[in-house]
Amino acid sequence: MILVLRTDATQPQIDHVIERVVELGFEPRVITGAFRTIVALIGDDNAPGVEKLDAIPGVENVHRILKPFKLASREFHRADTVIDVGKVKVGGGHLAMIAGPCAVESFEGLDRIAGHVKKAGANILRGGAFKPRTSPYAFQGMGEEGLKILRDVGDKHGMPVVTEVMDTRQVPLVAKRADMFQIGARNMQNFDLLKEVGQTRKPVLLKRGMSATVKDLLMSAEYVLAEGNPSVVLCERGVRGFEDSTRNMLDLSAVPNVKGQSHLPIIVDPSHATGRPDLIPSMAMAAVAAKADGVHVEVHDCPEKALSDGPQALLPDQYQALMVELRKLAEVLGRTIDR
Amino acid sequence: MILVVKPDATQEQIDHIIQRVEELGFRPHVSRGEQRTIIGVIGDERKPQVETFGAIPGIEQVLAVLKPFKLASREFRKADSVVTVGRVRIGGGHLAMIAGPCAVESHEGLDRIAAHVKKGGANILRGGAFKPRTSPYAFQGMGEEGLRILHDIGDKHGMPVVTEVMDPRQVGLVEQWADMFQIGARNMQNFDLLKEVGKAKKPVLLKRGMSATVKDLLMSAEYILAEGNQAVVLCERGVRSFEDSTRNMLDMSAVPNVKGQSHLPIVVDPSHATGRPDLIPSMAKAAVAAGADGVHVEVHDCPEKALSDGPQALLPDQFVKLMQDVRKLALAVGSSFD
Repeated sequence: MILVLRTDATQPQIDHVIERVVELGFEPRVITGAFRTIVALIGDDNAPGVEKLDAIPGVENVHRILKPFKLASREFHRADTVIDVGKVKVGGGHLAMIAGPCAVESFEGLDRIAGHVKKAGANILRGGAFKPRTSPYAFQGMGEEGLKILRDVGDKHGMPVVTEVMDTRQVPLVAKRADMFQIGARNMQNFDLLKEVGQTRKPVLLKRGMSATVKDLLMSAEYVLAEGNPSVVLCERGVRGFEDSTRNMLDLSAVPNVKGQSHLPIIVDPSHATGRPDLIPSMAMAAVAAKADGVHVEVHDCPEKALSDGPQALLPDQYQALMVELRKLAEVLGRTIDR
Repeated sequence: MILVVKPDATQEQIDHIIQRVEELGFRPHVSRGEQRTIIGVIGDERKPQVETFGAIPGIEQVLAVLKPFKLASREFRKADSVVTVGRVRIGGGHLAMIAGPCAVESHEGLDRIAAHVKKGGANILRGGAFKPRTSPYAFQGMGEEGLRILHDIGDKHGMPVVTEVMDPRQVGLVEQWADMFQIGARNMQNFDLLKEVGKAKKPVLLKRGMSATVKDLLMSAEYILAEGNQAVVLCERGVRSFEDSTRNMLDMSAVPNVKGQSHLPIVVDPSHATGRPDLIPSMAKAAVAAGADGVHVEVHDCPEKALSDGPQALLPDQFVKLMQDVRKLALAVGSSFD
């Protein structure tokens, strides 16, 4: 860590900085320049108490050298992590093709959609039973009944299932029925929820918060890993931008950005990122070309009757056409899609 | 256009709105709902007077139905436009592979880099002679001397050249030496400059401003088209955001977003978008997979000595490798490059 001192820092202030640094267990190296004094600290950047260094009088700014996450980092684990969701592998060249409706609405409805996406080549079924809707008046999901339907339909079509968990109290219930937890964007920094799923041994699909940096996302993954659950798949699903013609702004560079720093798989959700069926296929293609470990797409056979997020769903035919293109691309790039 | 009337608007106000609509040459169509009155306005809403609708008392919202751009729109021209730069085609399945250093620094330096990128498969050479640098103390470009060098090196390697024009007074000079103008992100809404290149006869590479929406970008293209120059290539180069580990945030969805609304080609510049050589290749490939009409990449053979934007330049070897990958990918998505 590097402490840059203020240009007007007094000698007593500098002495005090050094004293505090030594107390925290660092070895200080003082560099006195023409305009500034800089103190390099040798020791663990992540030691408790370091966040307070900023508050010492005379310190202008603090530069960390080490990454603030450890278990999620490439340094900790060189090879790409491969995560098993049911019998489907995600990461290390294996692509997760997650598809399904935004919400579980009925057994028949989900069964029809699952039949379509399975046939097209999806390998994980999604469907929300607990729905974090912007409006409290909007459909909030079928709850436990929805979880049961999701499980039954997944079993019927031989697909593992992923569904969102919104509350720490729902974790055991969801763990019982689903093969993978989804932590939604709005809960990316719900730290108690992260700890709770971290204590289970089910894989977690962790979506990036709408105003979270890539570092914030990796710190949230670290919460899950630190509790002992090693199976985390990250998901880029767009962040808030000023662009008003799309729902969010897909930050596709998050894919190589994560991969440079972390061994965890990362997939892309172009449905929430764009909110527009006309943009979803191109962004799914771009994601695979950018080496994402999969794509998460919402599909509905009657979007105009969907109880949630209908306008952003692809029709089964559109999904099927997209999967044909994605398979071609995956082949050129040497990646595989488990069935 | 749809006018949404305030819930508490009086009958007098509504009558006044209708009167103004008719005065402006439109046909009003009034729908009275339980809670609201809505007035459909029938006519060409691109008339300059429509902006004032929002100011009429009693109106809550004005909703545009038509796109505010015309010549740039898909409705105006269904097929993809193909823009020719020298003998290189851009658009309609033909990819522009634009590469070169950020700035022209010397004849020898540019010659070396041009040879590398040409060998890699680039088909258009870039290099700045006028540089819009954030700091007034940073290298501002070689000016006219740089333009001559760029032109000579382009000729030597058989590549058309693109370079930035920053000021309407430079347009004549740049047109003399370059095959394509670049309008930089900072000048995307320098309307006098847009009009000036609109009157010129060379194609224009128009970069998206850092806080411009896709609609804003298309409106800027419309300025050029409206002056008579039909050869405009758009460029997504990242926008400002809160993410602090990249220089900008690449808005890749701008590619299909533009293509749905406009016939103009759009290329992607992952160099400025990310500012990081470790992210550039993935984003270049993603751009081609997303249907972009080309890629714009900065290349330097000694980034640590570059006078401008060295940290975001790819090394020649990295560029050659990237081009191999892009070629494979282009084949898979059915596009090719001259």
